[in-house]
Amino acid sequence: MNDVILEMKNINKEFPGVKALDNVSFSVKKGSVHALMGENGAGKSTLMKCLFGIYSKDSGEIILDGQTVEFKDSKHALEAGVAMVHQELNQALKQNVMDNIWLGRYPKIGGIFTSEKKMLHDTKEIFEQMGVDVDPKRIMSTMSVSQRQMVEIAKAVSYNSKIIVFDEPTSSLTDKEVEHLFKIINMLRDQGVGIVYISHKMDEILRISDEVTIMRDGQYIATKDAKDLTMNEIIRLMVGRELTNLYPEKTNTPGEMVLDVKNLTGMYSHIEDVSFQVHRGEILGIAGLDGSGRTEVLETVFGIATKKSGEIILDGKVIKNNSSLESIKNGFALATEERRATGIFGILSVLENTVISNLKKYKKMGLLNDHEMRKDTEWSIDSMRIKTPSADTQIRSLSGGNQQKVILGRWLLTDPEVLLLDEPTRGIDVGAKYEIYQLIIDLAAKGKSVVMVSSEMPELLGVCDRIMVMSNGRVAGSLPVKQASQEKIMELAAKYL
Amino acid sequence: MIKRLAKMLFVALMAVSLVACGGGDSGSGGDGEASVHVFYYDYGDTYISTVRTALDKELDGMDVSYTDYDAAGKQQTQTEQVQTALSSGATMLVVNIVETGSDDAAMTIINAAKEKDVPVVFFNREVSNEVVNSYEKCSFVGTDAKEAGIMQGEMIGDELVANFDTYDLNKDGKISYAMFKGQEGNNEAIYRTQYAVEDADKKLEAAGKAKLEYYDSANSDKYQVDQDGTWSAKAAQDYLATALGKYNDGNNNMIELVICNNDGMAEGAISALQTAGYNKKGGDKTIPVYGVDATKAAVDLIGQGVMAGTIKQDAEGMAKVIALAVKNDVAGDDTFKGIDDSGVEGVKVDDGVAKARIPYQIYTGE
Amino acid sequence: MFFKNIKSRFNEIKEMDTKDRNRFIKETLINNSLLIFMLIAIIYIQIQRPQFLSRESIINIVSLSASAMPLALGVAGAIILTGTDLSAGRIVGLTACISASLLQAVDYSNKMFPDLPAIPIIIVFLLVIALGALIGFVNGFCVSKFSLHPFIVTLATQLMVYGVILMYLMNGDNNGQSISGLSSGFTELTKGSLFKIGGTPVPNYVLMAIVLTGVMWVVWNKTAFGKNMFAVGSNPEAANVSGVNVALTITLVFTLAGALYAFSGFIEAARIGSNSANTGLNYELDAIAACVIGGVSFVGGIGKIRGVVLGVVLLKLIFVGLNFLSVSVNMIYIIKGLIILVACAIDMRKYLVRK
Repeated sequence: MNDVILEMKNINKEFPGVKALDNVSFSVKKGSVHALMGENGAGKSTLMKCLFGIYSKDSGEIILDGQTVEFKDSKHALEAGVAMVHQELNQALKQNVMDNIWLGRYPKIGGIFTSEKKMLHDTKEIFEQMGVDVDPKRIMSTMSVSQRQMVEIAKAVSYNSKIIVFDEPTSSLTDKEVEHLFKIINMLRDQGVGIVYISHKMDEILRISDEVTIMRDGQYIATKDAKDLTMNEIIRLMVGRELTNLYPEKTNTPGEMVLDVKNLTGMYSHIEDVSFQVHRGEILGIAGLDGSGRTEVLETVFGIATKKSGEIILDGKVIKNNSSLESIKNGFALATEERRATGIFGILSVLENTVISNLKKYKKMGLLNDHEMRKDTEWSIDSMRIKTPSADTQIRSLSGGNQQKVILGRWLLTDPEVLLLDEPTRGIDVGAKYEIYQLIIDLAAKGKSVVMVSSEMPELLGVCDRIMVMSNGRVAGSLPVKQASQEKIMELAAKYL
Repeated sequence: MIKRLAKMLFVALMAVSLVACGGGDSGSGGDGEASVHVFYYDYGDTYISTVRTALDKELDGMDVSYTDYDAAGKQQTQTEQVQTALSSGATMLVVNIVETGSDDAAMTIINAAKEKDVPVVFFNREVSNEVVNSYEKCSFVGTDAKEAGIMQGEMIGDELVANFDTYDLNKDGKISYAMFKGQEGNNEAIYRTQYAVEDADKKLEAAGKAKLEYYDSANSDKYQVDQDGTWSAKAAQDYLATALGKYNDGNNNMIELVICNNDGMAEGAISALQTAGYNKKGGDKTIPVYGVDATKAAVDLIGQGVMAGTIKQDAEGMAKVIALAVKNDVAGDDTFKGIDDSGVEGVKVDDGVAKARIPYQIYTGE
Repeated sequence: MFFKNIKSRFNEIKEMDTKDRNRFIKETLINNSLLIFMLIAIIYIQIQRPQFLSRESIINIVSLSASAMPLALGVAGAIILTGTDLSAGRIVGLTACISASLLQAVDYSNKMFPDLPAIPIIIVFLLVIALGALIGFVNGFCVSKFSLHPFIVTLATQLMVYGVILMYLMNGDNNGQSISGLSSGFTELTKGSLFKIGGTPVPNYVLMAIVLTGVMWVVWNKTAFGKNMFAVGSNPEAANVSGVNVALTITLVFTLAGALYAFSGFIEAARIGSNSANTGLNYELDAIAACVIGGVSFVGGIGKIRGVVLGVVLLKLIFVGLNFLSVSVNMIYIIKGLIILVACAIDMRKYLVRK
C-alpha cells in the first residue's frame, strides 16, 4: 500500500514581488497521513490553493493517480476525488446536515424534485461508516464546531475522495473531540485514502502522521518519516534556527490584588457563582473544556454579556461594567476569541484598527489628529514587530499572528489595567506565538494584570502564574502554575460534568 | 423595560389619535343613510386634491355618509379598496379609476358592484363606453380628454399668429418649441401632447405661417416625458435646464415656446427659465409657457406675466355634477336628471351613453 | 506627491515582466473603468454634440449634480452601515413643502397660510433641518434599538412621512395644491448667484453643495464619529467589543442623513419652485444608485466622499448626455440600469478576496 497517489512536481508560483512557491515538490502515498508543516507564509496554503485550482500555478505538474490534472476550481477537484476540510468551515448554517452534504448535487426525482429520502438514507450510511452519531436533519448552526467538521468530512467521503486535505482541523476542538477526529482519520487511512494534514501542533503531527514535509519561505525543506522526527527537529527545520524554548522567560512578579470578581452569575449564560482574583502583574490562565464557560466569564466581566448577579471590584471600588464602553473607561480590554468575527475590521486599515478604541485621545476641537494617530500606530507596529507593508494596509491581508498583534496594540493604546485575552494564539504559528507570549509577559512585568483563556494547556502552563479551571459554568479549582499539570487540569475540568 | 414599553404604547396611541382627528375624511351620518365610497386614484395629484376638497364639501351638504380612499396610483390597491367597501355595505361607489389603458380594472369594479346592485359613478379618468353601457347603474363624469389639448393648441395658435414676430426670436420664420409630457401610456397626456401641437399648427397654417418646429430635430418623439410618470415640475425643470445649456440666445437657437401637459410642469419649466435669466417678473425676455389645469399657482404666474396661459379644468363643476349623480342614484332617479340646472356652464351629456362632460376653459389672465 | 506616485508607479511597471505588466494594465483599466467610461462618454457626446461642453452646459451639469449631492451624501452613510434609506425622497418632499409654505411671498395671493408674516429664512432653514434630523433620528433609533433592518424601518417611516405630506398640503386654504409663489429672498438665496463664469450665473446652491461636501469629507475622515461609522459598518460586533457605542453611531448616521435630506428639501423647494406631494418621489433611488456607482458598497464599511461625488456627477452626465443625444426615454432606463449593474460588478471585484 505504498503507491503514490498524488504527486505535485516542481510547482512554482509568483505573486507580484513575491516568490510564493519556489520549485516545491510534494507527494502523498495511498493510505497514509502526510503532514505539511511550516510557519504562516511558508507556502502551505498557497501550495494547496494551487492544487485546488484556486490559484493557477506558473509552472509544474500535478499528477493524481497517474494522470496529469489541472483543476479549475475546488468543485472540479472534489469531483475528481480531492477534498479539503477547511479550518474555517464554509457551511450553510441555516440548513440541515444532509442539505450541506449534498449541496449542489441533490439527488433528484425526475430531474426536478429533490429526493429527501435518498439524501437521508445516503447520509445515514456514511455516518454509520464513519461511526458518527449526528442527526442528518439537524440544523447546522445548532451543532458544535466538531460536529460540523464531521459533516464536512462526511461530505468528502461521500465524494469517494482519494485525497482529503485537513487544514488546521483541531484548532477549535476540545481534546476529546480531537481523539474522535483522529479515530476517523485513522479509519480513512485504513481505507486507503491519502491524507494531507496541515497543522501547527507538533504533538498531533507526531502522533497522527506517517510522513512530514516541511516548508519554509516558499521553499521545500525536507520530507521525513514521522517516527524519525522530534519536536525540536521539526521546529529547527521550520524556523531555520534553533528555538530552544517554546516559551519566553517569565519576568513578571505578581503584586497586590487588583481585580476581585465575586459570585459572578450570567443572565443568559450558564456561568454560576464564579469568583476569582487577579493581582497586579499577574497572568491568570483560565482552562476548561469548550463550553465550560471560559469565554462567557471574560465577556461578562467585560460587560458584553449580561450578568445576573455578582460583583466586580477593581482597586477596592465596586464597578458595574454594564457595557464595553464602561469597561474600557474602567481600564479593561478584551481581545476576543473569534478574531475575524469580533476582533478585526477586515476591510479597514491597520491604522484604523489600531486607533478605534482610543479615538477620544486624538480629538482636537472635534477633529481627529492624523499625525498623532499615525504616530501611535507606528509605535504599535514597531514595538510589537507587526509585519505589515504600511499602516494603511488592509488588516485582512496580514497573517493571523500580525492581526492579533494589531488587536493587542489597539488595547495597549487605551492603557488598560486588566487585559482579558481569549485564545490569544489560536491559529497563529510557532514563531509568532512566541512573540505574543513575550508581549503578554512583558505587559505583566510592567504591572498590567492579564486574564488569559486558552484551550492549549502547555501554553497556559508555560505563560501563566496561576491557572483557574472551569467546569460546566463553575470554577472547579485554581492552581499555582508550579503545582499544575495537564493531568490535574483535566481532572478539575471534568469535576462538574 | 416595562416602563419603556408603556411609554412607546402611549406615543403610538397619541399618534393614532392625532391621525384620527386630522383625518376627518368621513362625513357624519346616522343609520339608514346612503353610504357613499369615493375612490381617488392618487392623493398626490394636485388637481385631484382640488376635486376632493370640492366634492367633500358637496357631500357634506347632502344627507349621506361618505368615505374617501387613496389608491396611491395603484390599481390593485383600488380594486381591493372597492371590494372591502362593498363587503362593508357600501350603497354607492364613486371611482376615479387608476388604470385607463384597458377596461379590465373598470369591469372588475362593475361586476363586483352589479352583484350587490350598487350604482357606480366613474369620474375624471375616463372609462370606455362599453364599460358604462355594460351596467345600467354606471355613469361617468369627466371632461373630453381631447378637448384640453385642442383648446391648448388653439390658444397657442391664436397667440402666436397675433404676435408671430415677437415670438420668433431668431427671425427664422419658425417657432421652435419644447413639449413636456406628464406620463407615458396615459390617454390625457397622449392627447394633450398630440393636439396641442396639431391644433396650434392648424391655426398657424391658416394664417400662412410655418408650423411649429420641435427644438431638437434629432428627437423623433418630439416630447420629453417625466420618467417617474408623475407629471412633476422637477422633470420639466431638469429637462429644460439641460436643454438651455445647448439652446439659448447666445447660440441664436433659443427655444421659443414651452408647452406642458400640466401646470406643475409649466411651473418647473418657468423655474428653469428664471434660473437662466428669462421669464422674470417685469423682465424683458419672456418665453411663452403653457400648461393645463389652472392651478392657483399657475393663475398667479399668469397674473405676474411670466406664464402665457393655461386650460381650466373646472374642479368645482366636476364635483357638483358628481354630487348630482350621487343624489340621483341614491334616490333611484336618472343619473343626470336636472343636470342643466346644476349651475355648471356648458356641461353636456353624450348621446347613447351616460357620460357627462364638463367643459374646459381657456385661461390667459383675468 | 501625486507626480511622485505616478513616477514610482511607472518605475514599478517598467520592472515587471510582460505577463505581470499585462495583468497590471488590465487591473488598472478595470479598477478605473468608471472614470474611463466617463471620459469616453464625454468625448463621444462632445463629438456628436459640440454644445455638450459649452460653458452653459457644464454649469448645468454641475448644478444638477449639486442639487442631488446632499441627498446622496446622506444615503451613503446608511449604506456604509450595510443599510439603506428609503425615506430620503419623502423627507425631501416634506421639508420642501414646509420650506416653501413658510417662505411664500407675503403678497402672494394663494398663500397656504394667508396671514403668515415674512419669516427669516434662517429660521425656516433651521426648522426644516431639525425636522429632517428628527425623522432621521427616529429611523436610526428604530434601527439600533430594535435591531431592525433599515430597509424595513425606512419603508415604514417613508409611508408615514408621505401621509404627513398629504395632510400638510391640505392645510389652510391650500386644498392639496402645489406650493409656489416663493419669496424672492428665498429664491435669490438658493437659485441666485454670487458670481458668474463668463456671463453664465452659477446658482448659489452649487456653492452650498460644495461646502457641504467638504464638511462631510471632514466628518467622514477626520472625526471620531466618522471612524466609528466605518468601524460599525465593517464589523459591528468588533466595534462593540472595541468600545464603540454602536447604537449611538447608527442613530447619529441616520440623524445626519435626515438633516442632509432636509437640506436637499430646502434647496429643491426653491430650485423647482413648485412643491407638491410628489416632490422628492424616487429621489432616494437615484441617490442610492449614485452611491453604489461611486463605490459605496452594501458590503459595509466601504465608501469615499469622492466616490459619492463621482457617482452623482456620472448619473447627471448620463442624463444630460443622453438628452443631448436625443436618446429616447426607453433607452435611458436601460442604459442607467446597465451602468448600475456594471459599476457594482466591477466594484465588487475590488473587495472580493483575490484568488
